[in-house]
Amino acid sequence: MSAEQAGYVPERRRSVRKEAAGLGRRLAPLEVVICCGSGGVGKTTVSAALGVAIAAAEDKRVLVLTVDPARRLATALGIKGIGAEPVRIPKARLRRAGITIAGDLEAAMLDMKQAWDRMIERYSPDRLTAQRILRNPLYQRITDSFVGSHEYAAMEALYELHDAGEYDCIVVDTPPSRNALDFLEAPSRLTDYVGSRLLSLLSGGPSRFGFRAMNFAAAPFLRLADRLLGAEVLAEVSDFVQQLQLLYDGIQGRARSVSRLLRSSRTGFVVVTTLEQGPFDEAEFFCTKLREFKMPLRAVVVNRVLPDVFRDAGGVAAATTLVEDPKVAAWLAGELHLRVSAEAARFIGKTFLSRNTLAHREARQLAKLGRLGEVPIVRIPLFSEEVSELEGLVRIAKTL
Amino acid sequence: MSSPAGTPQRSWSPSTAVRRAIAGERIELATLLERRVVFVAGKGGTGRSTMTAALALLGARAGKRVLAIDVEAKGDLAAALGSPPAGFAPRVVQHDLSVLELRTDESFQEYLNIYFKVPRVTRLTPLARVFDFIATGVPGPRDMLVVGKIAYEERRKEPGSRSPVWDLILVDCAAGGQVESHLGAAKAMLTLVRGGLIRAQVEWIDALIRDSRRTTVVLCALPEEMPVIEAIELHERLRMGSGVAVDVCLLNRAVVEPVTAAHRHLMTALIDPEHAEVVAQHLGGSPLPLDAGLELQAHLYDTTARYLRQLRNKLPMPVVPVPLIVDRTGLTTTRAVADALSNRLG
Repeated sequence: MSAEQAGYVPERRRSVRKEAAGLGRRLAPLEVVICCGSGGVGKTTVSAALGVAIAAAEDKRVLVLTVDPARRLATALGIKGIGAEPVRIPKARLRRAGITIAGDLEAAMLDMKQAWDRMIERYSPDRLTAQRILRNPLYQRITDSFVGSHEYAAMEALYELHDAGEYDCIVVDTPPSRNALDFLEAPSRLTDYVGSRLLSLLSGGPSRFGFRAMNFAAAPFLRLADRLLGAEVLAEVSDFVQQLQLLYDGIQGRARSVSRLLRSSRTGFVVVTTLEQGPFDEAEFFCTKLREFKMPLRAVVVNRVLPDVFRDAGGVAAATTLVEDPKVAAWLAGELHLRVSAEAARFIGKTFLSRNTLAHREARQLAKLGRLGEVPIVRIPLFSEEVSELEGLVRIAKTL
Repeated sequence: MSSPAGTPQRSWSPSTAVRRAIAGERIELATLLERRVVFVAGKGGTGRSTMTAALALLGARAGKRVLAIDVEAKGDLAAALGSPPAGFAPRVVQHDLSVLELRTDESFQEYLNIYFKVPRVTRLTPLARVFDFIATGVPGPRDMLVVGKIAYEERRKEPGSRSPVWDLILVDCAAGGQVESHLGAAKAMLTLVRGGLIRAQVEWIDALIRDSRRTTVVLCALPEEMPVIEAIELHERLRMGSGVAVDVCLLNRAVVEPVTAAHRHLMTALIDPEHAEVVAQHLGGSPLPLDAGLELQAHLYDTTARYLRQLRNKLPMPVVPVPLIVDRTGLTTTRAVADALSNRLG
């Protein structure tokens, strides 16, 4: 890639800005806004800022739903704590921090354990089955460790909340996934898991899917598994699986509804990323997958972008002279009538140049975002002054 | 660790930790490299792979035969060592340094091959899938294979000799809480598996992990809110859970050079409108943008200092800042980090 291609042209920059203007307004008509991206990119803060921006744009009841251990969201919103019960963010406090919201803003945290328990209760054919599953020692561990289980519980809770219709718009801060795909695939993955023939075969009972013949073929494998793990483990697993399979129809039906909601025009995805290689690659991959799954991507928010000032050509020239010219300190001392140490001159030049290197790297990354197609891209600059959490949030909300 | 006769062994208390942290206790690099297995853990993006690679370089430099293992590999570790993606078999990247990428399926095949004489590759798919499904539900087995493979490498001897193949094994753990499940796997398996052939093997793996002379964890953090909180929480859970020792916490991307009064003084003079024109002419450009650089530096330095304090208050082990290295990539960065580490650790 050439330097010209790498640095983005001012023309393009203007159009990006124009498109980006009023993301809050653009998202306001949606009923569900899902923020996703890899961990550590400021997803929770951006979700909260989106909630603020939407409530500021239109008179709507907005809920920000987080799955994070909530502290982050609470701090960002300047309130003490957030629980499963939604908490209202006082308008007066937001006004003091510099923004007036037309609508209502509330925040809540998702209680993962509760979400799972309710799900089991909902889909169990009878109370006894529900109790057996909830009491099984493997249950908690499975809900903790099953890939995509948090994502699935989040989707479930989202669906319930949306269905209840108490809010005009729900902004979801998704769980930090090991893999972005976990989130999108969670519904189908769970049905696959629960309905899998291998599991039904492991459960030992008559297979409801008619793969009895496989029992024969699998026998030596099961014997081996038995030797590996010991018979008791296998028995526990098998009991659990047998119970879980009774829930299959319910889970499958709901997974389909969730999947429909995610693909509908009432829903929008916002991918949040920084320009660091890892999160950036994941964001790009995520955008591609959203398209593949036909889930509507509404915007890409790029967080913590170094301001343009760090790519200023005059600045680079001045910094280079300060670092490289051995006589610069003496000249400055004479000109400015000041004691100037060579170290101070070099330090000022060096701090700028190292940020300049990063800023160029970031510009190359930003240019790559063009590959994502016609998606509005919003840049949130890296702020370097200390402000309170809520003020910082409001500032981000205004950028949006 | 032994206590003087007659003195009851004291448990760790916060006040000791605080005292130690303020004293800025150091850890000898040599001590760290004397371990047999070092797990490098931390949230995604905290530079785990670079740190693992840097420690591997330092190990090899100290004359150790080093194996660097990438768990649930994305190829980052190999790249940080300037190597193309490695495979399940150790790949030599330089003298005394090999890298291995660990994937569960392959560990499972190897396990069956070693202990059950099941030939590799053949007819394993259905079995592997059965296993995979159990493993998804029961947390032990899958993680066990990861830890098992690591323990197996630790135990491996040169053919016909009693000396181990590797002096030091460095593990780039998968992101987030996964390291806990790996380290806790043996313990969890012991409660779960009461019989079966696996039991005896689990016991020696558990012993290896709990032996603080042989096995340790290096925590990675960044000077940002969440990575710091997560490092503290991870340490707490490791302490309560698997009983593994944590030797050091590395604060990566630290900005360690403060902006002094002299720097600010000069900056103010540089952008003073009175001299602006002549200064810009001499320097070849306006120094105005440089002020933003200085501001950012000051801000990041303060942030680093704040999080360093927080970590030192909460963690009972040395916390070492590793400076931000911006102008290089790949193996060059790793080398620069290795140098920084070796300076800082002493």
